[in-house]
Amino acid sequence: METFLAQIITGLSIGSILLLVALGLAIIYGTTGVINLAHGEFVMLGAYSAWALQTFLGLGLIESLVLIFLITAAFGWVIEKVVIRHLYRRPLDTILATWGIGVMAQQAIRLSAGGELRYVEMPSALGSSVSVLGVETSAFRIFILLFTAALFGVTWYLMYRTSVGMKLRAITQDREVASCFGINSQRTYSLTFAYGTGLAGLAGALVSPLKSVSPEMGTTYVVDAFMVVVLGGVDSLVGTVVSAAILGELTGFLAFLSNDTIAKALVLLTIVILIRFRPQGLFAARTRT
Amino acid sequence: MSKNGQEHLVLTGVVVSFNGFQAVDGLTLKVSKGELRCIIGPNGAGKTTALDTICGKTGLTAGSITFMGKRIDNLEEHQIARAGIGRKFQVPSVFRDLTVHENLEVARSKRSGVLANAFCFERDSEREELEKLAEFIGLQECLEIPAGHLSHGQTQWLEMALLVAQDPELILMDEPTAGMTVQETHKTAELFIRLKEKHTLIVVEHDMGFVKEIGDVISVMHQGKLLAEGTVEQIAEHPEVRSVYLGTGGIGSA
Amino acid sequence: MKRGTAIQLGTYGIVCLAFLLVPSFVDDAFILNKYARYLVLGILAVALSLSWGYTGILNLGQAMSFGLGSYCMAMVLKLRTVPVHTGKAGLPDFMVWNNVDTLPWFWEPFHSMAFGLFAGIAVPVALAALLGWFVFRGRVTGVYVAIITLATLVVVNLMIIDQQRFTGGFNGITDLAQLEIFGLTFDAYGSSSYYLIAAALTFCLFFALAVTKSKAGLVLQAIRDNENRVRYFGYDVAFFKIFAFSVSAGIAGIAGMLYTIVMEFASPTFLGVQLSLSVVIWCAVGGRQSLLGAALGAIIVTGMQGALSESETFLKTWTLIMGFIFVVVVLFLPKGLAGVVEGLSNRVFGHGDSSKPEPNIVPDSLGAKSEAESLR
Ligand SMILES: Nc1ncnc2c1ncn2[C@@H]1O[C@H](COP(=O)(O)OP(=O)(O)OP(=O)(O)O)[C@@H](O)[C@H]1O
Ligand SMILES: [Mg+2]
Repeated sequence: METFLAQIITGLSIGSILLLVALGLAIIYGTTGVINLAHGEFVMLGAYSAWALQTFLGLGLIESLVLIFLITAAFGWVIEKVVIRHLYRRPLDTILATWGIGVMAQQAIRLSAGGELRYVEMPSALGSSVSVLGVETSAFRIFILLFTAALFGVTWYLMYRTSVGMKLRAITQDREVASCFGINSQRTYSLTFAYGTGLAGLAGALVSPLKSVSPEMGTTYVVDAFMVVVLGGVDSLVGTVVSAAILGELTGFLAFLSNDTIAKALVLLTIVILIRFRPQGLFAARTRT
Repeated sequence: MSKNGQEHLVLTGVVVSFNGFQAVDGLTLKVSKGELRCIIGPNGAGKTTALDTICGKTGLTAGSITFMGKRIDNLEEHQIARAGIGRKFQVPSVFRDLTVHENLEVARSKRSGVLANAFCFERDSEREELEKLAEFIGLQECLEIPAGHLSHGQTQWLEMALLVAQDPELILMDEPTAGMTVQETHKTAELFIRLKEKHTLIVVEHDMGFVKEIGDVISVMHQGKLLAEGTVEQIAEHPEVRSVYLGTGGIGSA
Repeated sequence: MKRGTAIQLGTYGIVCLAFLLVPSFVDDAFILNKYARYLVLGILAVALSLSWGYTGILNLGQAMSFGLGSYCMAMVLKLRTVPVHTGKAGLPDFMVWNNVDTLPWFWEPFHSMAFGLFAGIAVPVALAALLGWFVFRGRVTGVYVAIITLATLVVVNLMIIDQQRFTGGFNGITDLAQLEIFGLTFDAYGSSSYYLIAAALTFCLFFALAVTKSKAGLVLQAIRDNENRVRYFGYDVAFFKIFAFSVSAGIAGIAGMLYTIVMEFASPTFLGVQLSLSVVIWCAVGGRQSLLGAALGAIIVTGMQGALSESETFLKTWTLIMGFIFVVVVLFLPKGLAGVVEGLSNRVFGHGDSSKPEPNIVPDSLGAKSEAESLR
């Protein structure tokens, strides 16, 4: 029982990190149709921002979060303006262009910050462990879980309860019609993209104390995040949460049962099979096609 | 109703439901060989959906469809096409990246297997025939132009020419004259009358003038059901049809 | 049309001839080996051009076929070294180190050279046909195909790394014999290997060209354009896609076998995500809708990479430059360099139709939706 519970909590912790990373991707992909392969690099930029703010300005992780969000969002905003906006009509090409951007971002960081591993310190207040239902867990992981839940709440509120979110959903439905009603899709898309990349930055900052920071760190995250989004269904925020939880538990469970490699392969295979039989995702609403 | 006494296409109690909404609701329709059947009905009557079920685009919720005595409602689209059913879509649908000539070549699909086509390089032998076809639809000057560059009317013509090239037993036409001038509509009528000699046609139309020009038997659909069936005169007299069309200004301007 | 085809054949012929003539001017073995490597990657790009450029299947797992071909060749060549390396045990060295005591059953047939050469094509083709059947029968399109192919690649890669006892794991299969057939020895650094590869490239280019020029090739392009419409003409879209996917895999398998010959080893990086995505880049740069363009794209990009990474000044920045070039190509040259050349030659010679539009690259991915709408 004890180990089972511990297993569940490990899975939830993995799932919350997955969700954190996937949320920005889900929003960008779900609304603009852009497949942002550079998402992992925005995660990486967030992590490096955390490292830089800590090393050069002595700022702690928690204090830096807002700044990190703004920095990565600004990056995203610029990239949307310069590259992405020309590709909305060519969704497959966004894969290629954003991959190119990712390659550039990695190399730029390698040249400026060096290729060696960097470490970000955990906030001292969260360095201890707490007991949840009798299971000892790191306080920082619980913090991530709660923070992700809060971010999700904010995002949901923005999408469904504000006028920007409403406009965004209108554009997602039909860009031309929306613009006939005076909705400025250019601006809304820029903002969405910036918000999504800002979230990626936050994700990077928050995972940075758990894992080492390196220019390549984004690659694994983007694959995982992609799987979460696809599994959850493109335009279903709630689906994203559920699929992050499922994938988190699955990864934790399989890793517990067998070795890491096999676990990873099995997760991928599961996803392949799911996409084959439900390309619209597990939780997508059925609409007129 | 059946001229040659032979039932070619039979829809029996066809129901199509979209999330509980019955777009087609118990439609029964019989079309005989060599007939040119017109289907009319107000917007949303389920005409396009009915054609969709015949060509396999939309699955049935209930009912059955037979073509030349064989069930086709459980076949895939390409199998239905091979059985001899061709379709023109309401929004013209052609291969926009391919040239007009290439479009016609693809449409000429008597041999549809992969391997048969992989070893087929004699693509120029059919050229003359296709050129004639292009001439008939007034696209002989445009043979080497990508179909994406054609105007809306030309695209409509091209899609009809694709069906002529495909040469199926039964042709389904969804609003072929939409967006055409009076002359063009007239020319389309001419084409249909020619096609009628060798093919069975089902034409969905709103233009009553056109329907009068070409139609033998007219079926009227309303809210997914067959409301009436008969000649132009019979339909014009039909009290229920008149009441359905009253709101939209009478059948003449539908 | 006729004239266009003749010009195309001429261009392909001249370029291939130029490749075949290279050894007459280059006698530095290392440089020749390097060029041979570039040509092999050119073959790989031809394979992707066939599935992506002509059929619209963005296969992000192209390296799977390549890697499998490469491992088949490596297994044959490894077994040829056995008497030399491990004497009486009769086992490849890495198996001995991993305490394997009998040769696994799937290694046995690779004692035969003929079987190895056959398997190098047949294994990738069979796997592609199986995957294609699984994916295309289910009408999975666009982005989802890209994800499935990428995920499958990663799974196969992980399995190969994990099964170190039988595959050599991370190290791959090294210390190979030289390929010997019909009394000819193909030394990785000799001109014989170069000729073999240039001939293979020529063959693959013309073979793929024949496929695209057949009626089936036309149907494939129609599928790329509007796959649902094709069905209503009676073509079984899934089978056509499986066909293109498998042919493409076969070509990639050939490339993989040749790569083992020039590299003198097989490694899991040959089935890596990195390589697989690079192929996409080469095709995009060269022109995905031109087989020759794709091949030249691969040769130029890898050649540039090689040159830049060797020079002092660019050692560190070449990745940055490559990324930049790539973004620019995607943004401004959707038809790649081939598109530029085509445009220029149209302007200069006035043949063909200069009005060919930018390819319509939209259709597939958000696919289900837009295509369904186009059929209303
Ligand atoms: N895929 C679908 N999902 C949900 N509802 C649908 C779908 N397809 C059609 N409908 C609905 O079914 C009804 C019939 O549509 P259909 O297109 O067949 O009408 P129609 O008679 O062809 O009209 P029109 O003359 O305007 O072309 C409409 O109310 C439409 O909204
Ligand atoms: Mg309609």
